[in-house]
Amino acid sequence: MSGEGPVGNGPILSVDHLTVTAKGKTLLDDISLDFASNSLTAVVGPSGCGKTTLVRSLNRMTELTPGLRVKGAVNYLGQNIYDRSVNPVLVRRRIGMVFQRPTVFPNSIYENAAFGLRLVHEEEGKIDIAVRHALTRAGLWDEVKDDLERPALSLSGGQQQRLCIARALAVRPRVLLLDEPTSALDPGSTQRLEETMEHLKEEMVLVLVTHNVGQAARVSDRVAFLHTGHLVEMGETEEILERPKDPLTQQFITGRFP
Amino acid sequence: MAAAGALVAELPPADVLIDRSARTRFRLGFDRAMSWLTPLLFLVAIVPILDMVYYISRKVVPTLTWNIITSTNPYQTDALGVPLQTTFYLIGLSTALAVAFGLLGGIATAELLPERWANVARTSANLLVGTPSIIIGYLGYLAFVLYFGWGLVFLSGAVTLSFFMTPYVFRTADLAFSSIPRHIREAALGNGAAPSQYILRVGLPIAFPQILTGVFLAMAIGIGETAPLVITMEPGVLVPSNVFSPAIVLTEVIWENFTSGEPLLVLKAFQAAFLLLVIVLALNVIVRVISARYQKRLEGLYQ
Repeated sequence: MSGEGPVGNGPILSVDHLTVTAKGKTLLDDISLDFASNSLTAVVGPSGCGKTTLVRSLNRMTELTPGLRVKGAVNYLGQNIYDRSVNPVLVRRRIGMVFQRPTVFPNSIYENAAFGLRLVHEEEGKIDIAVRHALTRAGLWDEVKDDLERPALSLSGGQQQRLCIARALAVRPRVLLLDEPTSALDPGSTQRLEETMEHLKEEMVLVLVTHNVGQAARVSDRVAFLHTGHLVEMGETEEILERPKDPLTQQFITGRFP
Repeated sequence: MAAAGALVAELPPADVLIDRSARTRFRLGFDRAMSWLTPLLFLVAIVPILDMVYYISRKVVPTLTWNIITSTNPYQTDALGVPLQTTFYLIGLSTALAVAFGLLGGIATAELLPERWANVARTSANLLVGTPSIIIGYLGYLAFVLYFGWGLVFLSGAVTLSFFMTPYVFRTADLAFSSIPRHIREAALGNGAAPSQYILRVGLPIAFPQILTGVFLAMAIGIGETAPLVITMEPGVLVPSNVFSPAIVLTEVIWENFTSGEPLLVLKAFQAAFLLLVIVLALNVIVRVISARYQKRLEGLYQ
């Protein structure tokens, strides 16, 4: 906290000289950036550029991969989440995550959405309200409201992914991390999920990892372009996609990149 | 020209997709031979078992009465009530101990221990499975009967037997937790579950059918064990009234009577064997029904 401005002035989430290495190999090299509030930041780049590592380091998921070492700071409301006194479980309760493939648990739709609230032993009445709210915000409520006790695994892939978003939203996080959430979905489900993201970004910080420049253009406000672990360029989506300054970025967005 | 012609003739014409090379003909022949051999070997394995079941059943079923199965009268020489009930109690206690230690150990190995220690634990469990039961019985005798001074009683037998059963529970628990899809684990932890919450709320329900199978396997194996019990328990004539009573189980009835030469006692051994078969069969049916029901809930999870 020392030296940081009071909560509310600074960015909700920022990365400060972040370096991630795995067995001597540098995955992220000295990255510094701010994630703007009430907006969606897309992290783009070719395969292996470190975009998934970056988003996973934002809620200490990196610790689940043995051998990864993180240096530098990720500040959430001015607090470095890598501080030794910080409990990673509490970090992940405040900064939720949605993955490439739907990851619903083998129980009911309701219990999936209530997962995060059960972890903190929330009251039953509040859980009911929060589940309904989260499912509505994730754009799934109308499809499942009549049968919340149905097994979540019986939903379609797109519905499962929206349920995962609802599960992350139910604890009312201020930051939601999305790691290529549409990569396993069909075009229709992708479009619905993109609409959901557009609604969500009005009230929170969204970080979206995508390999799809078109998707970044459609939903993001800002774009960060990574290449071989370096932050090449970051700025307004329009600016980056239409007038990139760096030749690497230009090559990537015009598709002349592996 | 002639040389080139010979070379071309060896290759199949481009428009023919059938390969008649010796290698392919051998492969197809081998394939066919194996698909006949496999069912044949299955028969070789199943026929003696069915024959044994049939032999025992034919011999025993006409002689069995409800009284023989249930009577616990110590003066009734043909009664099996005492060893039957004792077997249930003994397996009950051994299973409880094996589940307690095996489950904790298996989950810790899969989820909590660093890889190096996890491998030490796995190797130890495999060694324990490979240890002959008579040796485990002897260790139990040294430890519980002599060192702890419990004597040749029910508790010594039950604890010794649980050492024999624990690695089966341990291995299935470890395997069941290790095979939960990685993305499910990450989703739970990534949404704020502490490791213990992940284990109890997400992991255990998914691993349950597999673990249950392991527990029932351990029970079936435990029920069939004789050696560790013969050397750690004094045969009792009554159903044990407490854990420090002498005790006799069904396998010991077989062991004691089968070679006696006395027709009535040999029949008693056969009756005990028949009851064991029925119990093991029942355990198998129960575990299949329960795990099938739970497995259904997990459909779609492993895609």
